[in-house]
Amino acid sequence: MKIAIINGNPRESDQAFDGYLETLAASLGDMDHEVTVHGLRGMQIIPCRGCFDCWVKTPGICRFKDDAVELCKSYISSNFVVLASPVIMGYTSALLKNAMDRLIPLIHPYLRDEHGEVHHLPRYDAYPLMGLLLSPEPSTDREDVEIITDIYRRACINVMSELKFVEFSEKPAREVANAINNN
Amino acid sequence: MRLTIINGSPRGEASNTGALFSHFIRGFEETSGNRAEVLYIIKNLKTLNVLVDAFRTAEAVLLGFPLYVDTMPGSFKMFLEALEPLAGRDNNPPMGFLIQNGFPETYHNRFAARYMEKFAKRMGCRCFGSILKGGCEGLSIQPAFLTEKYFTYLYEIGKAFGERGVLDERLLEKLAQPEHLTSENIAQVVPFVNKALWDSQLEANGALEKSFDRPYQP
Repeated sequence: MKIAIINGNPRESDQAFDGYLETLAASLGDMDHEVTVHGLRGMQIIPCRGCFDCWVKTPGICRFKDDAVELCKSYISSNFVVLASPVIMGYTSALLKNAMDRLIPLIHPYLRDEHGEVHHLPRYDAYPLMGLLLSPEPSTDREDVEIITDIYRRACINVMSELKFVEFSEKPAREVANAINNN
Repeated sequence: MRLTIINGSPRGEASNTGALFSHFIRGFEETSGNRAEVLYIIKNLKTLNVLVDAFRTAEAVLLGFPLYVDTMPGSFKMFLEALEPLAGRDNNPPMGFLIQNGFPETYHNRFAARYMEKFAKRMGCRCFGSILKGGCEGLSIQPAFLTEKYFTYLYEIGKAFGERGVLDERLLEKLAQPEHLTSENIAQVVPFVNKALWDSQLEANGALEKSFDRPYQP
């Protein structure tokens, strides 16, 4: 499988989280997967301006030519994407959210009926499965995890995906690698 | 009451979020002595401290944003993270929310609202509620009979808030209609929106034939 790990850790000081993802990438590599790690902290990704050029002017292409282009290409050519972030104020990082917002060129503006709700139409034939890897903040409780999980499940609907897991970096990287490998 | 409104739309002043706020403010300021000040995330992305200071000294705060990828825009989350040092402070202002989305149903907003209400708790702020509305993409090109209805509710919600300091549950519920659509409704609405909202813009840009382009096809 082609696997992209999107590292939304904004903190240079949190080397443990980055290190965890490197271990995860290595484990997946050992299982013969082709793994790319995108360190968002070192990438230039301008926050989405909501101009919709990527839907109505240059379909599939954002007006901003920054590192989100590479991210979009990697995302759509992957079979599995791991979104990774520390929990900050009850949600994944702004760094990760800004990157997610820039993925909308990958879908189509048209609406469709998805089990009685209105969602977007796909632009591509195939989209990757998704897994969410978090590290908790001291106040993280069960409700926070529920809120995050629900929102990511809903985000998956619009990118024709499925949230395969929500895991915390306390879990051995090898076990998370196994969970990905089993897809 | 002095109300600090923070507009979290990446489109800034020309946003659908801003249009909704303007009608809320019109009602709110009808009560003498009430004053709303509007600040924009997009204008302060590099000076988030300006917004944090406004929050610190506010009497009451109303935060608004459009739904992006099922929750707040990333740029709005930057602001929420900048507020972290104020979390749990004794005298944080009461806060409420306005969340709008472009799908026809309001239901999509419920998850972000749950997050924001938990956020208020995390900050130690009393939460006075959430104004939620679907169907808000392209408000300026929607038929007037639709938008006038939304805007009147926003005005009434703002007026009641200005008078009593609470968001009127009954009005919030009316504004939120339709919470869901029936499958018959969806079958009517979807082709209409695809044509009136999207095809018209694609066509105006000479991009209709390219609408399904796949530039990053692996």
